[in-house]
Amino acid sequence: MAMDRGTRASGLFKGAFRAFSFLFLMSSAPALAEDPLERFRIDLEELRKENEGLQGRIDALEAEDEEARHGLGLLSNLVEVSGYADVEYTFTDQEGEGSGFRVHNLSLFFTKDIQREWKLFTEVEFEDAPRIESEKAADTVKSSQGTIFIEQLYIEYHPKLSWDIRLGRFLTPAGVWSIYHYPPYVPTQTSPIIYKVIFPKVSDGIQFKGSFTLRDSSIDTHLYVANGSGNPGALDRNEGKGIGARVNADLLTGLSAGLSYFGERDNEGTLKMSYGAHVLCNGSALRLQAEYQIRSNETDAASGFDDSGWYAQAEYDIGKWTLAARYDWYDPSSESPDDLWTRATAAVNYRFAHNVVGKIEVNRNWFDGLPTEDYSQAILGVAVAIGDL
Amino acid sequence: MAAFLKKIALLTAVALALAASSIEATEPVAIIVNRANQVDKLTEGEVKKIYTNNTLAWPDGVPIIIYDLSINDQSRAIFSEKILGKAPDLVAEEWAHLKITNQAKNPPQIMKTPTLIIRRVMREKGAIGYVSIGLVQNNPDVKVISTLR
Repeated sequence: MAMDRGTRASGLFKGAFRAFSFLFLMSSAPALAEDPLERFRIDLEELRKENEGLQGRIDALEAEDEEARHGLGLLSNLVEVSGYADVEYTFTDQEGEGSGFRVHNLSLFFTKDIQREWKLFTEVEFEDAPRIESEKAADTVKSSQGTIFIEQLYIEYHPKLSWDIRLGRFLTPAGVWSIYHYPPYVPTQTSPIIYKVIFPKVSDGIQFKGSFTLRDSSIDTHLYVANGSGNPGALDRNEGKGIGARVNADLLTGLSAGLSYFGERDNEGTLKMSYGAHVLCNGSALRLQAEYQIRSNETDAASGFDDSGWYAQAEYDIGKWTLAARYDWYDPSSESPDDLWTRATAAVNYRFAHNVVGKIEVNRNWFDGLPTEDYSQAILGVAVAIGDL
Repeated sequence: MAAFLKKIALLTAVALALAASSIEATEPVAIIVNRANQVDKLTEGEVKKIYTNNTLAWPDGVPIIIYDLSINDQSRAIFSEKILGKAPDLVAEEWAHLKITNQAKNPPQIMKTPTLIIRRVMREKGAIGYVSIGLVQNNPDVKVISTLR
């Protein structure tokens, strides 16, 4: 009986509790419907703050890590390596040439900061996958292909940002293409005809490079004394030295222009005086570049002649694509004014990344009055820049 | 019904979070120099001259040290478009060409985070950099010389 009473009381209590719970839930139902939103908002805010705090700590840790590595970098004994490489497939109807793959360039740059103000800079170029094999029983070369070339090797002294001195072999500072011509950063695989023809490609000597501001224009200057074209190091067989200069001025925003000069007496006694003018217009998407160069060649025996040429190039960026066109003109001798080499080039580049470029180029060469037959080329290539640029 | 309400709440929360992040991304960019720098203000043209190496030193002769953010950073995108008039990857490519030819006079140093730029600018008298303005508003060790919106 007592059990019954207890059981009944317990049942009554449970019933009352259930009823109370039901009434409570019913009365607070609208508030519960809103609570999750509010809770999410508060949770989100807390998470955001927490995230900011964590991000700040990560930034600070990364900063300390970077600082430590920067400190180590200043003391590093490592040589910085960068460079570029390009491979291509060429279709051509040129007489004596065949279509095919070409392992065109592998250029490696080695830079070493020797002291705060001294640097060693070298560029070693491997062209057409060079291979040199000697006879087993002798020092004579059994077979060879391609080119290995020290394109640049100089010691640089740079006490100020505004000037430096370079001693050794450097790219001859003349116009634009002679300095800025590396495949990942130019639209075409073929160079303008005048490149390496009127001014020498490289010079062995000493170069002063200085920058200053005149009114609102920034002026860059190069002055150099060198052995002269075709006179690397110990092979210089004349007393005379070549003297050259280049000046470039930023005239307006994105517009620069300049002049170049190089004079030398070569090993055959020919006095060569080269002059160049260039203009570069660099807009947000459009770039225009043109150069004109002329060289007088005077010998004691003959009256001499001039050779001259120019090119004009336009590039237009559309996202990752670049469209380019160039026209080349070259007159090899003023003695025969009807002899001309001209070329029209069109190119399309696609940037897979900022340092990987796919290139398609089509060009047509015309030879008026010259023994070479006209020919066309189509080049498909990929160029990459390597190293931490 | 409860599940539906929960979904609505979650979607609202996500939308709010996205809105908040986009507000952060478009926050003005402050161009900063060291507190000791004598320059108090620069025009956008003057900043461009510094970042294109047409100006190499401050008026008192101190060499300029240029800091840049990585090309994927939102502040760099704003800075690049407003000051240099080009997308960051095109600017990076031009620097790469100058560096590979050893023609760059004073190339920018790329920092992974804005915190690093602030630290360097706080420490180096000739330094210039840019970061989201919210990061330096109450920092007495750097001077905001221009703001990009």
